[in-house]
Amino acid sequence: MKKNGKQIGLIVLASVIGLLFLIPLIWMISTSFKNDFEAIAGGLNWIPENFTFENYLYTLTGDGVDVPIFRWMFNSLFAGLAGTAIIVAIDALAAYGLARLDVPFKKYLFPLFISTLMIPFVITFLPMYMQFSNFGLLNTYAVLIFPYTANAFGVFLLYQFFKSFPKELEEAAKLDGANKWQIFVKIVIPSAKPIIWTLAIFSFMGIYNDFLWPLVATNSPDMRTITTGIAIMQQGSFTSSYGKLMALTTIATIPILIVFLIGQKQLIKGITQSGIK
Amino acid sequence: MKEAKLPASKAKKERLSKFTSFLFVLPYLLLFLAFLFIPLVYGIYISLHDYNLLSSVQPFIGFENYATIFNPDSAMNSLFFEGLGNTVKFVIFSVPLLVVIGLGLALLLNSIPGKLRTFFRTIYFIPYAISVSVVSIIFLWILDTNSGLLNMYLMDLGFDAIPWLTKQPFAWISLIGATIWWTLGFNMIIFINALNEVPEELYEAGAIDGASAWQKFIHITLPTIRPIMLFVIITSTIASFNVFGQPYLMTRGGPGDSTEVLLMGIVNLAFEERELGVASAMALLMSLIMIVISVIQFKIANYKQGGEN
Repeated sequence: MKKNGKQIGLIVLASVIGLLFLIPLIWMISTSFKNDFEAIAGGLNWIPENFTFENYLYTLTGDGVDVPIFRWMFNSLFAGLAGTAIIVAIDALAAYGLARLDVPFKKYLFPLFISTLMIPFVITFLPMYMQFSNFGLLNTYAVLIFPYTANAFGVFLLYQFFKSFPKELEEAAKLDGANKWQIFVKIVIPSAKPIIWTLAIFSFMGIYNDFLWPLVATNSPDMRTITTGIAIMQQGSFTSSYGKLMALTTIATIPILIVFLIGQKQLIKGITQSGIK
Repeated sequence: MKEAKLPASKAKKERLSKFTSFLFVLPYLLLFLAFLFIPLVYGIYISLHDYNLLSSVQPFIGFENYATIFNPDSAMNSLFFEGLGNTVKFVIFSVPLLVVIGLGLALLLNSIPGKLRTFFRTIYFIPYAISVSVVSIIFLWILDTNSGLLNMYLMDLGFDAIPWLTKQPFAWISLIGATIWWTLGFNMIIFINALNEVPEELYEAGAIDGASAWQKFIHITLPTIRPIMLFVIITSTIASFNVFGQPYLMTRGGPGDSTEVLLMGIVNLAFEERELGVASAMALLMSLIMIVISVIQFKIANYKQGGEN
């Protein structure tokens, strides 16, 4: 009896905390369906009195104000997908090579790569900006994609997996006359699919949500990402149009929320594996 | 048989094999060099020059940029150390809360039934998926002095409106609150996993000895999850040290310069005043501080563990 009461108390507590986590998002969505007047003066109405789509129509069609929101969304999704594809491909190759093949100097290469996990982004972002600037590549997709591909996290994650991967399958394939590349593509990659998904979800979210780098590395309105674009709008013409701002933040959140909800399991796996060696 | 026959061709074969294996590592190695190693070296190079982007020449000046930062009479000195002070404040306020509440939520979830546990875990974890700019703009709106959600509820309850973003200590409270809401889920996930790894037998042994829930937590749970605790403290410290988006968007460094964190100062110096040399020197010093802190935290934890065994 006493135990039951305690359980119910804990569930109530968990629910209250859950509400605290959801309130900002619910209020964001609620505000996005209010006109500017009701947003500011409407008080605590969680359900809009004058339910309106005008904020979405206005921000999506860009009437009068330059809000290239489709372009920003495309930039973010494209950079996220392309960056993720590159990261997965090169990290899998490198991790497999270092874990299983006779790569020269691998005794030094792996620790060298892993030690860079300690290096904060602050150290590289200014010189990287100058590198891109020197080659005239600011405001291009290269700047939104390549800086993320050098991160050693994926090499580390996949290396651990390949190290513990049973050798028998590879050896059987070798006896059948398969070369390294064939073994990698036909045997290693299929068995590494779950961990590769983990890396992919991590990478996509990291690129899509990044703020500081796209903020400093792009300045043409067409090359903004969605996360920097809405920040510019907040500091510019939308400063106190909270209805419109909340429509923008809702739009920006939808794709990443879908990715998050689908990939939650992989994400959790990646987080726990990054902590436990 | 084969081995004895042709040693020369065997060596050749081995070299070929090493070469093809190297091709696996080559693509990553190239990107690593281009976007990590070269920037690292280039950053040191820039920090040793009078690197103003608006001037036509960027002469070598040795360690002068560093000397300016440490010269108490220079503007760069106050910019760096005031920024660093604000960053450190943010770290000191946020990290203990992020660790303790993260562990608290994990303990809470572990003591409710399985299906609800998964449900609430997802709810608590959702904000982690959102970009810092979205988080900041949502909280700007909720914390708005005149028509923000929080003040409207406070006024309904008969309190005065609080200037959440324009007066201290409220500005810090707002930044920390938004940060906790945004990133707590990450720590919680790590702690949930760590709690699941504590061997059940330890708790059973504790129960036989008549230990209370609190005693079990102090004497069994905490010592067992200590390495994970250290990992969470280090990652939270590093993340908080890198704070930028929240003050950049929510308080714009204010009121006054009180929330102008170091990274904001560096970005300003580099991209508004175009002083890349000093900015790079500051970025290098900031990174050095971060690396030293994580090494110290690691050493302290190792020492404590060694002392007890």
